[in-house]
Amino acid sequence: MPAGPWGQAPPAPQAPAPRPQPRPVGLTRTDFIAAIRRNRRNTALLCLALTLVGVAAGGGIGWAFGVLADPDPASPLPPMFLISGAAAMLAFSAVWTLIAVFAGDRIVLGITGARAVGKDEAPVLHNVVEEMALAAGLPKPRVMIVETAALNAFATGTRPEKAAVAVTRGLLNALGRDELQGVVAHEMGHVANNDVLYMTAVGVLVGLIVVASDLALRSMRFVGAGGRRSGDSRKGGGGAMVLAAILVLLAIGLLSPLMARVVQMAVSRQREYLADATSVKLTRNPLGLIGALQKLDAAPVRWADASRAVQHLFIVNPFKKFAADASALMATHPSIEQRIERLKALG
Amino acid sequence: MSTTGWIVVAAVAFVAAAVVVLYNALVAGRNQVEAAWRQIDVQLKRRRDLVPNLVEAVKGYMGHERDTLENVIKARNAAVGAAGGPREGQIQAEAALSGVLGRLFALAESYPQLKANENVMQLQEELSSTENKIAFSRQHYNDSVMAQNTRVESFPAVLVAGALGFAKHPYFEIAEQDREVPQVKLR
Repeated sequence: MPAGPWGQAPPAPQAPAPRPQPRPVGLTRTDFIAAIRRNRRNTALLCLALTLVGVAAGGGIGWAFGVLADPDPASPLPPMFLISGAAAMLAFSAVWTLIAVFAGDRIVLGITGARAVGKDEAPVLHNVVEEMALAAGLPKPRVMIVETAALNAFATGTRPEKAAVAVTRGLLNALGRDELQGVVAHEMGHVANNDVLYMTAVGVLVGLIVVASDLALRSMRFVGAGGRRSGDSRKGGGGAMVLAAILVLLAIGLLSPLMARVVQMAVSRQREYLADATSVKLTRNPLGLIGALQKLDAAPVRWADASRAVQHLFIVNPFKKFAADASALMATHPSIEQRIERLKALG
Repeated sequence: MSTTGWIVVAAVAFVAAAVVVLYNALVAGRNQVEAAWRQIDVQLKRRRDLVPNLVEAVKGYMGHERDTLENVIKARNAAVGAAGGPREGQIQAEAALSGVLGRLFALAESYPQLKANENVMQLQEELSSTENKIAFSRQHYNDSVMAQNTRVESFPAVLVAGALGFAKHPYFEIAEQDREVPQVKLR
């Protein structure tokens, strides 16, 4: 045996130190009704903040257009355009939010082709949904099935009283009762945590910011002509104003959608972890959901004709095959390995 | 008014507002516990209704288990008698019924003829699903009780809770002897 530098055998290679266990998310709460109240408040605040960002972007674009149309610093156009841009943004966001909140569940159910089933048609599914509603202390949601071989599930409804839980036929056939209970509890978790309202609101406002940025970028092609024309015919102040307008448009066009999407996806992933934790709290049995996630991961059938508009609603993303890189900034869901790891930490 | 006067007024207003907020939170918590209890009650009633049907259906097959069947009926009748009475008595009677029903289910495993009877199988499925629902609504009741008891005992609510008529609620627990695994004799 080779001696070490101090005449001893070298120490055996140590096993890598165990990774610090991730902190369970939101597990201390057992009072869902209070949690929903808190969540509503957070949603309102977040919506207000994102609306302000959207209105500011609308105003900025309006102002920049005004400057480009008439770079004279004394011109009345820029402030007029600023106000009308902001007002248009506000009106647009109000209408869009109303549609999303009041018709969102019908739109989602229509897009996915989910169909309500009676208790005689799917007795076990009905029993499991009712059990989980009792565990959460919430009204029993509508029970729906999507006729596809893919393995997936989702919840919708912006209020617990209007909620629906849908599972695919493939999932119903592939999972045992405990695993089905874990999945249904995850969806009940989305309902209990009011995630549908939360993500609908975030989705609307992010969409709005993306539209604004698109507008800003499209307008850039007119800037070249406008800038040159103003350079020789106007006073020096106009040139600086035009430069500022171009910078504002560029900032709105390039940065805001990126930031908004990153925030949205981070929120989405956090809500998935929270729903997993809620699922365990309802069933008191992490093994059911772990088994279900493993089967979902191994399933060969992806849901090819699912719509991207609703991908964040599902229990696993219907498009991506999850690998280690799935936790990239733009993923709607954490990777299944990471979710299972956290679930094991709970058990 | 003097500065001191204003300070006193502000302090009184602050305390009054704090009591109002505390009181409303305590009322909401108590109502949630009551709603949770009613959910259990619905399931318990369903079980009390299902039990005689099941006993009637298995009597022909399980003649040797007359003691167990009589115990089930006795426990069921005791639960019916306790319904509507004080909550502690109800909890005890229903927990006893859970215990004897568990024993009956375990014994039924050794009667393969029962599995061939569709009526019995349906009743057993309904009853075990009801058992699940009782378990989950009890879990929600206990969660709500824990939240409310924490609220009642927390500072500063503990100063006013008693005076305002808020007490701790009892947990729905299963008695010690009912948690024992039923003895299954091989014959």
